[in-house]
Amino acid sequence: MDKSIFTGKNVIVQGITGKNGQFHARNMIAYGTNIVAGVTPGKGGRAVDGIPVYNSVIEAQKDIMVDASVIFVPAPFAKGAIFEAIEASIPLIVCITEHIPVHDMLAVRRRLKNSKSTLIGPNCPGVLTPGNQLLGIIPAALSMHGDTAVVSRSGTLTYETMDLLTKAGFGQKYIIGIGGDMIRGTNFIECLELFENDPEVQRIVMIGEIGGTDEIAAADYIKAYVTKPVYAYIAGHSAPVGVQMGHAGAILGENNQESATAKTEYLTKSGAITADSITELVNRVQ
Amino acid sequence: MNLLEYEAKGILQNSNIPIPKGIPFRTNDPLPKAPTVLKSQVHTGGRGKAGGVIVVREQSEIASATNRIFNLALKDEKPQTVLAEELLEISHEYYLSIIINRATADIELVAHKEGGIEIESHDASEFLRRSLTSNSTDTLGEMLAEYYDLPGQVFTLQELVKNLYSCFIKSDATLLEINPLILTKDNTLMAGDCKMTLDDDAAFRHPEWHFEQMPTNANFVTLNPHGSIATIANGAGLAMATVDAVKQAGLTPANFLDIGGGATVEGIVTSFQMILEFPNVNAIVINIFGGIVRCDDVANAILEARKQFTNLPHLYIRLSGNKSAEATRLLADAGLILYPDLPACLKELTNG
Repeated sequence: MDKSIFTGKNVIVQGITGKNGQFHARNMIAYGTNIVAGVTPGKGGRAVDGIPVYNSVIEAQKDIMVDASVIFVPAPFAKGAIFEAIEASIPLIVCITEHIPVHDMLAVRRRLKNSKSTLIGPNCPGVLTPGNQLLGIIPAALSMHGDTAVVSRSGTLTYETMDLLTKAGFGQKYIIGIGGDMIRGTNFIECLELFENDPEVQRIVMIGEIGGTDEIAAADYIKAYVTKPVYAYIAGHSAPVGVQMGHAGAILGENNQESATAKTEYLTKSGAITADSITELVNRVQ
Repeated sequence: MNLLEYEAKGILQNSNIPIPKGIPFRTNDPLPKAPTVLKSQVHTGGRGKAGGVIVVREQSEIASATNRIFNLALKDEKPQTVLAEELLEISHEYYLSIIINRATADIELVAHKEGGIEIESHDASEFLRRSLTSNSTDTLGEMLAEYYDLPGQVFTLQELVKNLYSCFIKSDATLLEINPLILTKDNTLMAGDCKMTLDDDAAFRHPEWHFEQMPTNANFVTLNPHGSIATIANGAGLAMATVDAVKQAGLTPANFLDIGGGATVEGIVTSFQMILEFPNVNAIVINIFGGIVRCDDVANAILEARKQFTNLPHLYIRLSGNKSAEATRLLADAGLILYPDLPACLKELTNG
């Protein structure tokens, strides 16, 4: 993942005529994000707060060079919306939508292979580059521009981390919510690579959860390639096996590497600085 | 959502996957005919070892066996349904499943030569694992025939893999496990038992889904029915972190609760009601970080709950973020103190 994808200028909102899409489009504009168009099938030709609405991404792409799309389309139609954005070769797709069926996401991942697009999410709060732009629903008022990079599977826990970092005087360069689903467009490793390669980033904060083994893979990557300090916290130490804890992806399988304790231990062994709570973790940040 | 064996087998049958002859029945239904095997339909594993499977050879024993199996609780769960299946002459038991590999975002066929109850004791490296998206089902069927050493069953296994895969996709399944896959003495392959998990998020396109246990609310999880501390938080990550902190403080969390991003006053009041069901809860830890959620909404819900429920346990509240100043004022007017962060809440809780 190259940092240039987050500095794109022309952003569209898929699902802009819906309640969430409209509300957050306004928020993003207020933060300075350049929303150039919206897409809602069947509502082309209208406008939301003066922003033109198109029937499809391809149609919008004919008039405007689109760099990024933020998707708020309801779950049953989200796969189609992501496919549209991929077919229009939009470099960055951020999908906020929650509850997309797993099989739809498997199809999306197949479509992403050999495509020109990077997908962040779904079921995520999006991406915030403080002082630059907001692509999603992160409460940007709590952030401050700086040299810390945050990657997380969670929403509110990310906001809390961001707030604590800001209060402790550590501004942020990137806040990336990769999402709480089982199958995601982007994982920890791609973000860690971006952070390691960006000279402006001095330290990394990583927030994981129970379920899956992505944090284990991330730990291996940290050990092999990351030279910057990584502060990591894993949520869900008290989770029972086989029970979903809110997020679709937060479910403890039979694999003993999926637990919060196993992931925390493995990250510590791989050189990350870990803590048992977010407050404690941010206290350790230097 | 996890299906019961008979529910999963119903889906298999509709997908032309061979299953033993069987009749699911309930307590008021006529008794099945011996010889038969009675199988308790519960969601917990390890049923066979716990006495949830009874072979009945004589008709005279059916009534007592049925009575026994309906009254046997397996991990606190008594069956509403029992499956009476034909007795099979078993030659061998194999293992076959379709899973989703989260790390590679792929669908995989997983097989083992030795199926049955000891499957978890096999080393992961012993299993045959192949991608179903990058291999044809015919190739996989052939591979399976060779792996199982069943050269005479190539066509049957090709058909089986094809039907299982299409069943997996059509059903929006996230797990389809046949264990054991039985080879009978007359060389028929059939699904002896089946474990199936369906994706709750796909329910909107499956009006045909009617099962004994419908999707549970993933935002409210009972962790310990006898726990002493209840938790309320917003967002799955923060809710998990709150539970972790309570446990770390040496206390017993009763529940996990994520009130979500679109929490309303009524919704939050309902949450209090759910928490009051726990008999031993003597304190509630409320940990809200207002991003999208407004803290003043949460404050109003807390005040409303105090009005509605006179037996509310002591509250340890931390509200931060969106509209927290307004929330602090609202709660202060009602004589409620707010703590600056979760550690402060827990410190007060463990000292008090």
